[in-house]
Amino acid sequence: MDGVDLQVDAGERVAVAGPNGAGKSTLLRMLATLLRPRAGRLTVLGADVADDARSARAGLGYLAHDPLVYLDLTARQNLELYGDLYGIPDRDQRIDDLLEHVDLLARAEDPVRAFSRGMAQRLALARMLLHRPRLLLLDEPHASLDARATALLDRELGAARDDGRAAVIVTHEVERVADVADRLVVLRAGRVVLDESTDGMDARAVRRRYEEAAT
Amino acid sequence: MSRRRQLAALVRKDLRLELRTRETIVAMVLFAIVMMAILQFGFGTRDDDLTRFVGGLMWVTLAFTAVLGVGRSYVAEREQRVLDGLLVSPVPRVVMLGAKAIAIFLYMTAVEVIVIPLVGVFFVQGPYWDAIGWIAIAALLANACIALSGTLFSGLALFTRARDLILPVLFLPALVPVVIAAAGATHAVAGGPHDMSEWRGYCLFLLAYAILFSLVSVATYDAVFDD
Amino acid sequence: MPGERAALIWGVVATILVVISTIGVFLVAPEDADQGVIQRIFYFHVAIAIASLVAFAVACVAGILYLRTRNARWDDVGEASIRIGLLFSVLVVITGSIWAKASWGTWWVWTDPRLVTYLIVVLIYAAYFVLRSSAEDDRRMRYSAIYAIAGFASVPLSFYSVRVAESFVHPVVFTGSGANMPGSMLIWFVVSQAAMIALFIALLEVDLVGRRSERALRRLALRLENA
Repeated sequence: MDGVDLQVDAGERVAVAGPNGAGKSTLLRMLATLLRPRAGRLTVLGADVADDARSARAGLGYLAHDPLVYLDLTARQNLELYGDLYGIPDRDQRIDDLLEHVDLLARAEDPVRAFSRGMAQRLALARMLLHRPRLLLLDEPHASLDARATALLDRELGAARDDGRAAVIVTHEVERVADVADRLVVLRAGRVVLDESTDGMDARAVRRRYEEAAT
Repeated sequence: MSRRRQLAALVRKDLRLELRTRETIVAMVLFAIVMMAILQFGFGTRDDDLTRFVGGLMWVTLAFTAVLGVGRSYVAEREQRVLDGLLVSPVPRVVMLGAKAIAIFLYMTAVEVIVIPLVGVFFVQGPYWDAIGWIAIAALLANACIALSGTLFSGLALFTRARDLILPVLFLPALVPVVIAAAGATHAVAGGPHDMSEWRGYCLFLLAYAILFSLVSVATYDAVFDD
Repeated sequence: MPGERAALIWGVVATILVVISTIGVFLVAPEDADQGVIQRIFYFHVAIAIASLVAFAVACVAGILYLRTRNARWDDVGEASIRIGLLFSVLVVITGSIWAKASWGTWWVWTDPRLVTYLIVVLIYAAYFVLRSSAEDDRRMRYSAIYAIAGFASVPLSFYSVRVAESFVHPVVFTGSGANMPGSMLIWFVVSQAAMIALFIALLEVDLVGRRSERALRRLALRLENA
């Protein structure tokens, strides 16, 4: 990461793309407060992560390659754990709602080990949304989510703009996020080489802009 | 966000995982029994009276059992790659590691509930339950020491190369004082007439160890996972 | 560079003090009535032991400062201090062993708290280097800092645990403390102590100068490569 200067506003959905090793994942892990920037300032949801990472974390929803759930706990037990970690007041009601939303209510009492990959990813989606995060951080969502989960996620991202939540989506398949992103940021070798609005661009145009910038 | 609720949730999670998989405690108990047997065979012949040494043998065994149990303390998080999920949540690292310490404390206690009365049959002279009761108090203090330092060292070993080797290298030297004191306290009450001043001295030492390491823990736990 | 000047000054001070204390200890200080010439090793043995504790304390403080500031300089100070402290601890064990041979006719006495404790201390700080070698970059520095703090907490615990055990099992054979030394011995003890601490500071400064120039060299090599 070198001289990256970015600002993401409420209600904005930013796609971050770039070739392998460009620093996309590093950037996302920094935003997720999993990696400390060695220099410079990083403010997430109004909190400087260097001295108050915890209040930033409370408003972050993070979707990684891994579902980040325990395989030997049931779907409900996993969500109960996260519900308590985030201090959700209406925990049980919220869990029921989300399990229904991701269509896992019938399997709520099964251990995650028995789940298919797609089901685990839907549970991951529920886990991310559980505490009503104000900033969604998505790491290659299209690589790991199946069609059903992708549809759910796209719907969520559509709703995000309307109620002022922001999202950062790291991807190398820019055409797949063209519909849900308002802005395209391209990284190359740890630097921002493109940062522009995607208003009025279709998937092919976005792809073209990306390839011009990335190579 | 209540820290107590977070702590309870994390401990409940560890216990649920343990109840479902039964991997750690069963292995620890079996390991402890096998190791006691090996030590007895290795040291004793039919005629030797090992009573004087059994307190020491027992705590050497429990120290190695602790290394085994502590080494498994992040296995689920590591193998199922859940750690990032905990780290992005607004749980203070002190609470996270404190929950781990409570889990280790409970595992050690569970192992000792089986091992100490069992081994005690072979070496306790005088009233049995009386001696076991005093040993149990010392054991609870020793468990607190083991849990506090073990959590710290297992957190350090977690992302190193050869972590299975690193953990005993870091953890065992720090356990030497615990073994000395716990074995001493056991010895003081196991041999018939109790030497209560000796027992009290060792227990106070264990208490001091636990207090000192809880200070170290509070000072350093935040930095363990701070990448 | 100010670092080089400090290294030079401390090197000169340490050399002078070591020469004076060697002359004083062997030629001027009175011979111990009971133990004869071998008692003279005491001056170095105890002085090195205390200097090593100073080194570990410096490493602990450097660890705390590293965690506060994340400045690699404190990692350098911590590692250099522990390296020197470990070297000193090994010397403590060796001189103690020589003393044991002369006093009791055997190289190693498990009932002497000083020898046993220093063996534990050597083990604790040897593990520091095992930990360092199995992690990289920021993580290595962070883990080292945490371990330097935890290690320094273990040192008094090891000291005390061994002594608690000794006081119950055996009377301590040797007190060897400064309190009951005649004044003429005390003076030379103080000089030896000052010499050893100056030696520590000098070695630390030299080590840090070496690291700094190595880093500057690496930067230069990198710049040449880029050019």
